[in-house]
Amino acid sequence: MSDAPPPAARPVIEFRGVAKAFGDKQVLRDLSLDVRKGEVLFIIGTSGVGKSVTIKHLIGLLGVDAGEIWFDGKRVDTLREPELAPIRKRIGMVFQNSTLFDSMTLAENVALPLRKHQGMRQKKALVEARRRLDQVYMSEFADRYPAELSDGMRKRAAIARTLTLQPEVVLFDEPTTGLDPVNARRIDRLIRELSGGQGVTSVVVSHDLTSIFSIADRIAFIYQGAVRALGSRDEIRASDDPVVQQFIQGQSSGPMETPGF
Amino acid sequence: MRGLIELWGVFVSTIAGMIRGGRPKGEIVRQMHAIGNKSMLFIAVTLGFIGMVMIYQACMQFNRVTGDLSQVGVQFIRLVTSDFAPTLTGMMLATRVGAGIAAEIGSMKVTEQVDALRMSGVLPVDYLIVPRFIASVVMTVVLTTLGGAIMYVAGGLTAHYQFGVNLKIFFDLSLLNPAHLSLGLVKAVTYGAAIPVVSGFCGLRAKGSSEGVGWATTAAVIGSSLAVLLLDFILSVAGFFVLGEALR
Repeated sequence: MSDAPPPAARPVIEFRGVAKAFGDKQVLRDLSLDVRKGEVLFIIGTSGVGKSVTIKHLIGLLGVDAGEIWFDGKRVDTLREPELAPIRKRIGMVFQNSTLFDSMTLAENVALPLRKHQGMRQKKALVEARRRLDQVYMSEFADRYPAELSDGMRKRAAIARTLTLQPEVVLFDEPTTGLDPVNARRIDRLIRELSGGQGVTSVVVSHDLTSIFSIADRIAFIYQGAVRALGSRDEIRASDDPVVQQFIQGQSSGPMETPGF
Repeated sequence: MRGLIELWGVFVSTIAGMIRGGRPKGEIVRQMHAIGNKSMLFIAVTLGFIGMVMIYQACMQFNRVTGDLSQVGVQFIRLVTSDFAPTLTGMMLATRVGAGIAAEIGSMKVTEQVDALRMSGVLPVDYLIVPRFIASVVMTVVLTTLGGAIMYVAGGLTAHYQFGVNLKIFFDLSLLNPAHLSLGLVKAVTYGAAIPVVSGFCGLRAKGSSEGVGWATTAAVIGSSLAVLLLDFILSVAGFFVLGEALR
């Protein structure tokens, strides 16, 4: 895949000086980052550095301690739960654990956001859910429960559920973690197709270097609670920052400080 | 203090959620089965044995002091109805049901299913706590009735076979009045409401991984049990002031 510039340069998401602490642990210190419309932006960094925390702020699953977050010209970090509903229609999230609801079939899982966000009746929502599952080649499993499926299948169904509202932005939290290489590359292709074919903006949190260096338009490297490096794949590859180089080369020793090691 | 305010917030949201509706279809029946049917044997055995032990101890003490056992059954049914049946049932449910609710919701919290619900446009309280709240209130009343009946019968049989108390004298309900039944019913409803709210609140506060779920489960059992005891005290005192002579 080419390392071409992103389709458009207008920032659709802006993090401005965001800080977040959990108890004594300061996770984000002064994080500022723009996400451009239609791009695939990867947020990378070591475990516990605050990658997932960053994207969860955007949809109000976590609240900031300081700083501002803007989505499409509207400040979102100050919104209350009921006010977040329209934002959550436009921004979907694929969680790390798939997060399908165990007590529902796949079709019911996919139908839930249609019923709640779009007010669709159960019967119509289930028909629509089967159509969405068909798009990810999962329609034959529509009546199965999540526990009866493999990790890859659950991940695909979770993506179908997220895409069911046709969001403008999709946040992927480690979408390929725990998947075999074949399924991982299928997920990569799906993310790329969303951006290329439908103009969806994707923000992907990942450690998967194969994914990162094959489908990212830009990469943001987070270190010590802030963005340490930001650029295209080639720019990150060519970075002269030893911390960035240690991460992308997967070296166990180097200048990077990793708490707990 | 902040925790208590948040707990109150969950309770208010639960009541509001009952009015809002939009609960998952069939979930209340499923929860009634999980909370009620699956606790039935546990409650029956526990309250049955406690009834036997209490009557055994009471009769021994009465024998030592007056030797007159004619009032044992009459006083026992008043106590069972107004306090023992709802409170012991509440305590038992606080451990079994409270732990189950906290573990289930806590697991959903740490695996981000609760966040996924929010992303799907669902308020977690509506989906997770409201059905359990309704089911728990109904089934606590049912189990209190069942447990109380078993406790009373087990106590009566113990009194009869161990101490020779006449069954007709033991099972005399003439001194039982609506005040005892009302107080018992209010207690059962209150405990039935408190257990899922406290346990659900603990589950929603679970953090991290399995350790967080373990913490939530322990906190739910302790919190629900304490809530039952505290509410028992408050309702007993309130009952005394409101119902007064009728309880004597």
